[in-house]
Amino acid sequence: MTSEEIVEKIKTDQGKAINSSEVNLGDSVIFVGAERIHDIAEYLKNDPDLDFDYLSNITGTDYLNEEREPRFEVVYELHSIEKNHSIRIRVGLDEEDPTIPTVSDLWKGALYPERELFDMFGFNIKGHSNLSRLIMPEEWEGNPLRKDYPLTIEDVTFSHNREFKQDLVKSKPRTR
Amino acid sequence: MTVTDQGLLEREKDSMTLNMGPQHPSTHGVFRVVLEMDGELVDSAEPHIGFLHTGIEKTSEAKRYVHVIPMTDRLDYLSPPGNNLAFCLTVEKLLQTDVPERAKFLRVIMCELARMASHLVWLATHALDIGAMTVFLYCWREREMILDLNEEISGVRMMTSYIRLGGVVKDSTPGWLQSVRNFVEYFPAKIDEYERLLTHNPIWLDRTQNIGVMSREEAINWSMSGPVLRASGVNWDLRKQRPYSGYENFEFEVPTGKNGDIYDRYLVRVAELRQSREIVRQALKNLPAGPYKVDDNKISLPNRKTLKSSMEALIHHFKLVSEGVSVPKGETYVPIEGPRGEVGFYIVSDGSNVPSRVKLRAPSFMAIPGMCKMMEGCFIADVVGIIGSIDIVMGEVDR
Repeated sequence: MTSEEIVEKIKTDQGKAINSSEVNLGDSVIFVGAERIHDIAEYLKNDPDLDFDYLSNITGTDYLNEEREPRFEVVYELHSIEKNHSIRIRVGLDEEDPTIPTVSDLWKGALYPERELFDMFGFNIKGHSNLSRLIMPEEWEGNPLRKDYPLTIEDVTFSHNREFKQDLVKSKPRTR
Repeated sequence: MTVTDQGLLEREKDSMTLNMGPQHPSTHGVFRVVLEMDGELVDSAEPHIGFLHTGIEKTSEAKRYVHVIPMTDRLDYLSPPGNNLAFCLTVEKLLQTDVPERAKFLRVIMCELARMASHLVWLATHALDIGAMTVFLYCWREREMILDLNEEISGVRMMTSYIRLGGVVKDSTPGWLQSVRNFVEYFPAKIDEYERLLTHNPIWLDRTQNIGVMSREEAINWSMSGPVLRASGVNWDLRKQRPYSGYENFEFEVPTGKNGDIYDRYLVRVAELRQSREIVRQALKNLPAGPYKVDDNKISLPNRKTLKSSMEALIHHFKLVSEGVSVPKGETYVPIEGPRGEVGFYIVSDGSNVPSRVKLRAPSFMAIPGMCKMMEGCFIADVVGIIGSIDIVMGEVDR
């Protein structure tokens, strides 16, 4: 199916469940609310015409500098191996409560990227089997890929500078 | 052992925790896996990553687009041109620009040479893990030739940064093309040599067949990609499915396996060595003449000669060096087929000359949970074989 056909089909089938949809630079993109993402993912995987059986990637983005509401976004890239088409799902997440249900029950490949989202962005992945730090050390504070996390200050844990460092992190201006 | 009521000796389940890595030579970098052992058998394997975390994704958010390209080299450090290409294709998609034909062919040649070099490192170290020392030395010999070719065209042996926005950094010379031609003629006999050592070797077969098996459905569900996915019988190669950079002009086969075990992954990668060599041969034969980068001075630097005569070129040069390329607002993702599988960058641009978010979809990163699933129930001696057969590169796992 072409990107236009995919978007049209989802609009007719799940028009109420998705927020909006578009074809962006040739890619089909749908915008979904966090509470609906699991249902939509299940539909995309099980619908025989769409058949999105392969999860390629999950990404988090932080739109702090663009003053956009909601601040965070989770982006899923799905492929269909049989049908050879793709889709991007973009899910907005609130700053106060960045909670999103896991899709690792549908695609096991989601386990690691979702853990990375927890680690790097501090998103709460509801239903994930092992939500712990993945790339950063267990005792690390903060979520490095958030825009308000400083690029240059490395929070090296020494007893003598712990409080000083924390003050520095708090008082630091927004990046760029 | 405990004595039961009947006076018989009964074996209690006695598990042992075994730590492997991060300094273990067979983990191919700094990868740590904690194995829960029941005698010789692995009960469960828990991976620990992050030892090579360099924060490249975060650093990219403070660098101009052009400055990100040398950092992409360091992600999958065994095939830098593939990362350069993935990054450049994504930015070029946002810029909505197309590169000249000659640049596409040069990109394909570099990427396929890198794929050969990467597969040679894989074969060398994988065979060494399982105990075949000779193959290691043979593969290193041929890889050295590819690195020499890299050096000749880009000045660097490994981190080439040869592929840039809007084309490649400089044109190829007739001498370099002849060197590549010589290598392409020389290489097939050497692949036969590796195969003579391994393909029918009974020790190799014993250590690889029916070990680390992953079925077609599992491989798709666990998001495996590249040769691992194809060895499980899935015909999925992004060079065929989503042709990029002119791959639709080349005739090549996509080798697939049947059983999805270590041996099939070996066969698929060796077949890919031959196919890559075939693609390079065709690219050399059909290499079109013409410019090697786009003629848009907002994206690529103007030619050196014009700087002395054209004021406009001088201004463009100054603006491009001091300010960089400004990319229109938007976000996109372009996947390409790297040596390990699907490599893609998800880039968010806020309209400035610095990316707002750069995310690498790394095939090795996505493969690690599936790899540890394969280890469950296998012998401890096969763990190194399974790690080797996935061909992980920690640079792109930890980023």
